[in-house]
Amino acid sequence: MKTLRPLTPEQLARAEAALLHPSPGSRIEAAKNYGVDLTLLVEQLRLTPDERARKLELASTARRSTRDRP
Amino acid sequence: MQPARALRVLCDADVDFVVIGGVSATFHGSARVTYDLDICYARTSINLRRLAEALAPFHPRPRGFPAELPFVWDQETLRTDIGEIDLLAEVAGLGSFDDVQQHSSTVHAFERQFATLDLPALIQAKRAAGREKDLSALPELESLLEAGDL
Repeated sequence: MKTLRPLTPEQLARAEAALLHPSPGSRIEAAKNYGVDLTLLVEQLRLTPDERARKLELASTARRSTRDRP
Repeated sequence: MQPARALRVLCDADVDFVVIGGVSATFHGSARVTYDLDICYARTSINLRRLAEALAPFHPRPRGFPAELPFVWDQETLRTDIGEIDLLAEVAGLGSFDDVQQHSSTVHAFERQFATLDLPALIQAKRAAGREKDLSALPELESLLEAGDL
């Protein structure tokens, strides 16, 4: 089974370029037109999978504390 | 949801599972926030027992059902003390646990190591699920796939 690893600096640079400057006709351009904030994806890709998961945990905890507040 | 706690519990109980859904999308770089944990589990008797024992301390009960009703561990959406957990023995567009496992990668998170769906398989499953919330996730996931393929 493969392992999901953080992007290498080279992979990250390529992904950032593709996301911040989408090629015409690409799926990335279609997502931008759909309303996806591609800068958020760049931020996420700079993190390791573990860091992405911990960020989700924090968001979930914040939601729970807000919801449970009297 | 407390994904860290839920995933640690499942790993520590040696449950055979693959993380699917929104948490898997997060591992791949999705910026969407999800509030439940979706897993596909092996339907062997030993695994069902491990799963049931692992979650028992967290008072699992089907979401939307009276707490006192009995239920079986099969394709259930559970509400537990550590959040909502969707348990699937099969995944639309992919198949059984064995099929899902073949389209998975190992991920290290929350001081544990476990399996999560590959990005192409996650896209396939979202498309097959066909619900509005699944389909609306596709542009982002396809962007991540395209950005990673370059």
